[in-house]
Amino acid sequence: MKRQITLDINDQPYELTVENRTRLLDAVRYAAGLTGTKEGCSTGDCGACTVLMDGAPITSCLTLAVAAEGKKLTTIEGIGADGTLHPVQESFMELGGLQCGICTPGMILSSVALLEDNPQPTADEARWTLAGNLCRCTGYDKIIKAVLQAAEVQETAAS
Amino acid sequence: MAQVLDRQSVAANGETNGFTVVGQSTKRVDALEKVTGRALYAADVSPPGMLWGVFLRSPHPHALIKKIDTSKAEQLPGVLAVITQESLATDQALVVEEEMHATRRVQTLFAQDKVHYEGEKVAAIAATTKELAEEAADLIEVEYEPLQGSGHVLDSIQESLPVINEGTELLDAPADNPWGVTKLNNVAGEHHSVEGDVAAGFAESDRVYTHTFYIPRAHQTYIEPQVTVADVDVGGKVTVWTSTQGPFGVRSNLANSLRLPTNKINVHGMTIGGGFGAKFGGIVDTYAVLLAQKARRPVKMVYSRHEEFVDGRPAPGAHITIKTGVKNDGTIVARQAWALWDTGVGQGGGYATMRTKGVYNVEHFKFDAFDVNTCKPAPGAYRAPGAPQATFAGETQLNIIAEDLGIDPVDIRLKNMREGDQIAFKETLQAVADAAGWADRTSGPNEGWGVAVGEWTNGAGPGTAVVSVHDDGSVHVFSGLMDITGTDTAMAQIAAEVLTVPYDDVTTVRGDTDSAPFATGSGGSVVTFSMGNAVKRAAEDAKQRLLELAAEHLEAPLELLELRGGAVVVKEKPDESVSIAQLAQFALRERGGPVMGKGTFASQPSATTTAAQIGKVEVDPETGKVWIRELYNSLDAGKAINPMASEGQMEGGLVQGFAWGLMEAMHYDRDGHNLNPGLLDYRLPTTADFPDIASVIVEEPTKNGPYGVKGIGEPPIAPGPAALASAVADATGKWIMELPLVPERVYRATHDS
Repeated sequence: MKRQITLDINDQPYELTVENRTRLLDAVRYAAGLTGTKEGCSTGDCGACTVLMDGAPITSCLTLAVAAEGKKLTTIEGIGADGTLHPVQESFMELGGLQCGICTPGMILSSVALLEDNPQPTADEARWTLAGNLCRCTGYDKIIKAVLQAAEVQETAAS
Repeated sequence: MAQVLDRQSVAANGETNGFTVVGQSTKRVDALEKVTGRALYAADVSPPGMLWGVFLRSPHPHALIKKIDTSKAEQLPGVLAVITQESLATDQALVVEEEMHATRRVQTLFAQDKVHYEGEKVAAIAATTKELAEEAADLIEVEYEPLQGSGHVLDSIQESLPVINEGTELLDAPADNPWGVTKLNNVAGEHHSVEGDVAAGFAESDRVYTHTFYIPRAHQTYIEPQVTVADVDVGGKVTVWTSTQGPFGVRSNLANSLRLPTNKINVHGMTIGGGFGAKFGGIVDTYAVLLAQKARRPVKMVYSRHEEFVDGRPAPGAHITIKTGVKNDGTIVARQAWALWDTGVGQGGGYATMRTKGVYNVEHFKFDAFDVNTCKPAPGAYRAPGAPQATFAGETQLNIIAEDLGIDPVDIRLKNMREGDQIAFKETLQAVADAAGWADRTSGPNEGWGVAVGEWTNGAGPGTAVVSVHDDGSVHVFSGLMDITGTDTAMAQIAAEVLTVPYDDVTTVRGDTDSAPFATGSGGSVVTFSMGNAVKRAAEDAKQRLLELAAEHLEAPLELLELRGGAVVVKEKPDESVSIAQLAQFALRERGGPVMGKGTFASQPSATTTAAQIGKVEVDPETGKVWIRELYNSLDAGKAINPMASEGQMEGGLVQGFAWGLMEAMHYDRDGHNLNPGLLDYRLPTTADFPDIASVIVEEPTKNGPYGVKGIGEPPIAPGPAALASAVADATGKWIMELPLVPERVYRATHDS
């Protein structure tokens, strides 16, 4: 059964027609046309489809679109959208925290949420927090270093 | 002479050995579009009027098909195409060809009379929504008569097992085979090699060791599943947008499968979300095109992760028995291997048994290897195909021998390693040993260290690149090269180096197969070596044109001119110069048109590189859980065009290798049912499973690579399983010869006495 919903994505209202069963992932990618959110497994294991819901990372492949009404959603298109890249984006580019890039949107969103929650994480805290986002290219070392550098940059900017 | 690259001094000085851009860790050319989510992957392409395509697959690993009835599916409103092997026109595609380095398969598109593995394609459907297509698939009635299958090579070779691929004949087994058989059933291919006389070698050895290793199938597990969008216009022209390592290879496969001329097919290689050897086409592209031809609408097909596991093209498993004779001082005298490679319904892989020889002087060497059919999908290439399996056997056994002889594992390698022109095995091993503090290593309770090395020689492939200089002095590099690892970045660096312009002034552009000249596929570690040469030659061609233009413009003899800092200057008269922007304008308006250089590379040999790795582990004696605590690796890159990108290859490959040893395995039951077709049960490494990694780049240039480059994408995966198993043995006193080292296996091995 189809229904009209309004999703708040990256501070913009999106009026979308979805089925009750439509996944948030498909609503974002196909109804809203925001293809930066990726699909890797459809079972909540890889984290490529990560978006932020009220600031917390969720797997949009396991979330129904209708359950996201009234929530504040952030996709990768909403990070650095004001023309200034987020420190996490900068440090991923500078330190080689990406290769093929398919995990990168989800990895960056989880990293942004991590630093919101814990602005000065230890390497271990970063490693345990980001364990829900799989990357097959980098071996993770440069991702963790990028997240820690972004934390430092944010700390410096704040002081 | 090999040099150990000092990354910090490169960063501090801003130049290396006279280079300005080559050797710098510049940001990737595609970094910005990837961190902002703007990079377009094949699944992001949705042409107007697009349909969704899905597959109907066999639930049985081995069964006869008695009947297929598609009538109900075809009558479902919204379904525009249903295809089976029977429905295909005889002059159309009856087979699909999949070709990649090390493996090749020609098989029928769909199962018709018999299915050979769980997940084999039986039909494909295109409908207006994915849900409708899936509903239609459920409406196809297939009647099966299940047969006994085989999920293991040691079963498949038995005469009592059914033949999996029709027409396969019994083969005589080698007289000295370790499998206890006289005949081999279900052999799809065989590979043999003899150097010297192993019998004489074993006779003159002081000690002879024989061990058997088993390494299971592993899936490449790119995070972006296989995907293709296909469209066919009314004139029959085929356009595909796909995720591939080789757009030109996809074009060839489609041309052969569909009996179409090359100029009727255009392949757009979209940004690729990982491949590692498995994305050379054939798995979905042919089917998407066939559905689009029949439905007369664009069709998108995306593999689910489940489909990846039941019908991907994973790395073959290998059952390897290896026998080595040594002198008491550790000198290797002879080595012999017997191997059964689990190649599913396909073939290819067994030849990699040659890598059990390693990087050592082995006077007497012999192997007999067989590709063995099981009721599983055909194998594909996975980063250094076959090397991790063979290296696991060869390198782990060398560590067992070192332990038995009381020789340090690094020393026994240094003693036996080959030396020669353009190779640096010893320097590379010494570099990682130094980085790890190997000589002074310490271990706490339940901790242990392991070392192993792997080798690879990059291939070379043909390709052409075009370098254009625009009227503002900016530079475009155009080719059909598919970038995965950062090779576009290396190409931009090479062009910037030759033309003495800033890195940021260079743009790399990838053409589709209609627009770009041929470029070799991105596999076999060929790209930076091969296309790097093409780009370097194209930039040098453009540079020559700039110098000739400058000779006219400055009215100076050509031999007195040089290009530096983005301008042509007269030697010893620095006041007389002209910028390349001015020269490009001069060319455009007054002298024969745009500045463009062309460079072509066909094939030249490279030199062997080695990856050396050391790991420190801690084993929980209560649970058998292995924690990797420290990781060190070194690699001879020849010349690292971009050290950060080179480290990215080293670290990514290292983690894939160690993870194959630690946690990754495709599990099958006796008949061949896949028991872990998802990422919950096929465990991939996460950030929490691996520690920081120390990477050391060694540079022993090769003569034929641009600036001395050796291809480095593949070798870092090879040593991991052996290094890990050896570290666990050092920690527990138990050599475990079957992978992966999951807690249950380690617990049982350490508690069975």
